[in-house]
Amino acid sequence: MSEKITRRNFLKLTTAGAATAAIMTGCGPASRYVTREPYVKMPEYTYNGLSTYYATTCRECAAGCGIIVRTMQGRAIKVEGNPQNPINLGKTCARGQATLHGLYNPDRVENPVRQGRSAPQLSTAQVSWDEAIQTVSDALSKTNASEVAFLMGTAPDHLFDLVSDLADAIGAPAPLRFSALSMFEAQATLSKAAEDLLGQAGLPFFDISNADVVVSFGANFLETWLSPVAYTRGYAKMRRSRPRTRGYMVHFETQMSQTAAKADEWIPLLPGTEGLVALALGKLVAQLKGISAPRAFASVNVQQVVETSGVSMEQLTRVAELIAESHAPLAIPGGQALGQSNGLAAAEAILALNALADNFGQPGGVLLSPLAPNSGAHRRPANAQEMSDLVAKMKSGKIKVLFIHGVNPLFELPQSFGFAEALHATPTVISFATFPDETALASDYIFPDHHGLESWGYQRSQTGVMQSVLSGSQPVVAPNYNTRATADVFIEAARLAGGKFAQALPFADEVEFIQSKIENLIARTDGSFIAPEINAFSAYFQQHGGWWASSAESDSLSAANALGKSLNVSSVAASIGENEFFFLPFVSPTLGEAGANKPWLQELPDPTTTVMWNTWVAMNPETARELGIENDDVVRIVSEAGSVEAPVYKYPAIHPNAVAMPFGQGHTAYGRFAAGRGANPTDVLAPSFNEAGDLAFAGMKVRIEKTGKQQPLSRLESRIGVYGEGMYEEK
Amino acid sequence: MIRKFFKWAFSPMGRIAVAIAILSLFSLAAYGLYQTQQAPEQPIQFTHKLHVGLGIQCLYCHPGALRGPSPGLPTISKCWGCHQQIAKTQTSALLKPMVEAMDKGVGFTWVPVAQVPDFVHFTHRPHVAAGLNCENCHGDMTQVTIAVNPQVMNMGWCLSCHKERAAGDKEKLTKLTDCGTCHY
Repeated sequence: MSEKITRRNFLKLTTAGAATAAIMTGCGPASRYVTREPYVKMPEYTYNGLSTYYATTCRECAAGCGIIVRTMQGRAIKVEGNPQNPINLGKTCARGQATLHGLYNPDRVENPVRQGRSAPQLSTAQVSWDEAIQTVSDALSKTNASEVAFLMGTAPDHLFDLVSDLADAIGAPAPLRFSALSMFEAQATLSKAAEDLLGQAGLPFFDISNADVVVSFGANFLETWLSPVAYTRGYAKMRRSRPRTRGYMVHFETQMSQTAAKADEWIPLLPGTEGLVALALGKLVAQLKGISAPRAFASVNVQQVVETSGVSMEQLTRVAELIAESHAPLAIPGGQALGQSNGLAAAEAILALNALADNFGQPGGVLLSPLAPNSGAHRRPANAQEMSDLVAKMKSGKIKVLFIHGVNPLFELPQSFGFAEALHATPTVISFATFPDETALASDYIFPDHHGLESWGYQRSQTGVMQSVLSGSQPVVAPNYNTRATADVFIEAARLAGGKFAQALPFADEVEFIQSKIENLIARTDGSFIAPEINAFSAYFQQHGGWWASSAESDSLSAANALGKSLNVSSVAASIGENEFFFLPFVSPTLGEAGANKPWLQELPDPTTTVMWNTWVAMNPETARELGIENDDVVRIVSEAGSVEAPVYKYPAIHPNAVAMPFGQGHTAYGRFAAGRGANPTDVLAPSFNEAGDLAFAGMKVRIEKTGKQQPLSRLESRIGVYGEGMYEEK
Repeated sequence: MIRKFFKWAFSPMGRIAVAIAILSLFSLAAYGLYQTQQAPEQPIQFTHKLHVGLGIQCLYCHPGALRGPSPGLPTISKCWGCHQQIAKTQTSALLKPMVEAMDKGVGFTWVPVAQVPDFVHFTHRPHVAAGLNCENCHGDMTQVTIAVNPQVMNMGWCLSCHKERAAGDKEKLTKLTDCGTCHY
């Protein structure tokens, strides 16, 4: 064609063409043609486009918070607190929210496998569940009962009960429970101190909500301590729920934790002097009140305390005045104060401060946590001493079969305990891990349990609430993988083994076992619901997310016993090693002990430093300047027990003689998000115990060596370490 | 070029050619429209006539209509609940796809016929709650094998019913004809 197309004509033709095409296709069937594929088998109670909500219990720590999980077409999509559950009253912490990242974790153990101790890889040698049950059955029945050991986590309680019943019936040693949290909280020490002063072992309940002056000795109850959601609520109530009264909080701790940052006053002190400070406070308060110092506080020399602790006389006097003038003062002993060689004495000294204020059994004071509905006595987790004994038994070949569930001792126990060698010396190790953690990968078999959101169960409240609470679990989704409830595996294995084994667990399945444990509650009329028989009771139990007494229980406690006791916190806690710096491991407020494989938690900045995805060494800028260390310089921390490397974060709010490191990272396994990230501070802890058998972790002394390396820490304000942003720019 | 084209178009041959072009465009459009009104191919020749005739309630297979936006399609296991007890299931050629789907544990891919565009938030529940019966919109299913649409589900059709049901009540009329009632 010789004639040129003008621009105008070209546009006209294009528009006409496009319009025609639009009309033709728009009218055609393609625009409205969609397809729908219904389920082959619809998950129960599902309606298209509508959510179904299930009440269950969070399993990220042992506190037993009730949660309600929103599910959509058979998938769990959101976790919220259960407003009815007295422990958390509708709230959750970040770790509870992130439990979904455990459910959908791409690195779960999907099938039962013959692991064959082939760490660091998860074995592909799949076995059938029949073989798995046969293996467990043989391990139980063909081993001398005294040579079988059960090592359980602090959650869930129903499995612990089942295993306890089994061990009891066959004459095996009682199962041990352990978690790094209970180690860092020094729960055994707190329990022992409560036994000595209050007359009953268990975790006392500190009624923060009704106190007007709270003096916390390293109790980081806004982070991970005992029942953080319940105590956080108590704290919020203390602060603002009462007209004209705003509670005042003083926090003694060597470094500023998240809880310290939320306090009105943070008073740093040298580790191991908490007990002395408590005694000095007691003496000063008694003086201010014009009473002669009770025996408990009489022997302390206040001036000496000022010199050793680094707390000034003015600060001590002011806090003592606060306590003396307060109507409801409350002193709380936390993990760092108790994880010392003098931890038990420190715990008693701090509890005795409460006795001085005469707040035992009073609102705003120290109370006995009521026992959960179906438990006879408080059963605390194993202390470090008991774990050390287990390790020694395993090493000497006295344990032939070890069953592990819900705990990862290769990561959670300090390396110096020698758990790795102990595992090596144990002929058969069977793990029921949901995730391929360090211990599971070093086991002979992994028979994976369901994730907590796929499981039945219950969890007892231990503290944080004045009602007796049993939080119930039910599966909110069908299991994603070829996993099986460990309770069911034991029940089946016992049946297969026959005899006393079958008699110990005469249940059809896990649900029947749980029903047998809650059956006695049917008779109680003082609870959250009443049902005539077990099936109706179970249905309500699931619907409400547990059973709890409808009113608070209170005991009358006498302070006389506590004050008359001669408390001997004779000196500063013995430090371990001859090095210069105190080493303070603390449980990461965001990760807890087992959160490292959940990206939501990794991405959550640490509340005080904003560091994410990594481990840091918190060091006072003064100290760093003296040592010639800058931010992001990798240092080696060396103790008698071992060493660990991590980059430095210059943190002004820490005692110049101490360095702190969060616990939670440093995995060598545990899935793609956790493995090879950060460092584990327990590597430098030595097996040294206090009078109650807890690890004296806060008395560890270390020296700091420069490595000459640098590693940029990712922080909220700069994500350089995670995504490499800005790392490769040309200078 | 355009001028040259018009010159040719007014010549006798040109007129015929243009007429043919217009006619073919028109018939294409008509075919397209016709296609939108046809029941599409379904994986199985499901007869609503038979099932409704047997007295099965609509909500038995489409229970979501009572509760939420979507009535839902029955799962294969729901079909199987009855069909496993019917001898003909194993012999019928028409039911073969269902037996196979059940054996393999896979679903059917249905093609819904009663649809509204994405910018309309239609939900069944308020309509059922207002007392409408299924057949008011979906026609008499006792006369239908594979589902077909008894009418074009466009906005005029919706509004005519909404206006009628408002029955002169001004407040109701406002509520039922507000844009945001369906487009939000």
